[in-house]
Amino acid sequence: MSVELVFLLIPMAGFIAAIVLVAALVRRRR
Amino acid sequence: MNVDALVSDYLGRLEAAAWPLPPERRTELTSEVREHIEAALSEAGSRDEVTVRNVLERLGRPEEIVAGEAAGSTPSGPAVSVSVGPSMGGIGAVEIAAILLLTLGAFLLPLIGPVIGLIFVWLSSAWSTRVKVVVTAIVVAVVVLPILGLLAVRTAS
Repeated sequence: MSVELVFLLIPMAGFIAAIVLVAALVRRRR
Repeated sequence: MNVDALVSDYLGRLEAAAWPLPPERRTELTSEVREHIEAALSEAGSRDEVTVRNVLERLGRPEEIVAGEAAGSTPSGPAVSVSVGPSMGGIGAVEIAAILLLTLGAFLLPLIGPVIGLIFVWLSSAWSTRVKVVVTAIVVAVVVLPILGLLAVRTAS
C-alpha cells in the first residue's frame, strides 16, 4: 500500500462521511 | 426510559429552550405542549414507548417549537431573540464547516482537514449521536486503518 493510496482514501472517507451527514440533515428536515 | 420520563425530558428541554420567551408565555407554552402530547397519546390509544417517541418526534424539536413561537410573538410581545443557528439543530456555520472540511478539506489539508471536520461534527447539535458515531466510524475505517496497514507493512519490510 502506497502513501498515494492513503491520500486518495482520505478524501474518499470525507465524501462518504459528508454524504451521510447531508442525508441525515435532509431526512430530519422532512 | 419509561414513557413519563420521556415526556418529562421533552418538556424539560422545551422549558430550557424557551428561556428567551417571557415567563408567562413560557409556562403557557409548556402546558399547551403537555396537553397536546396527552391528546395525541389518547388519540393513539396507547402509551408505550414507541407511541410516545412518535408523538414527540411529530411535535418536532423543542428548539424549533420555541423558535416558531418567538417568531410569532415578536411583533406584539417584548423583543425576543432566538439564535437561529447550530443550537437550533438546523444548518449553521458549524455544519457547513464540518461538511467542507470533510470534503474540500481532505484535499487542502489531507490529514488535519477531516479530523477538524469530525470535531465540528461532534460540536454540532444538528446531527444525532448515532449519525456522529457512524460518520466517525467511516472516517476511522477508511483513513486510519489503511494508514495503520501502511505503517505495519513499512515496519515489516
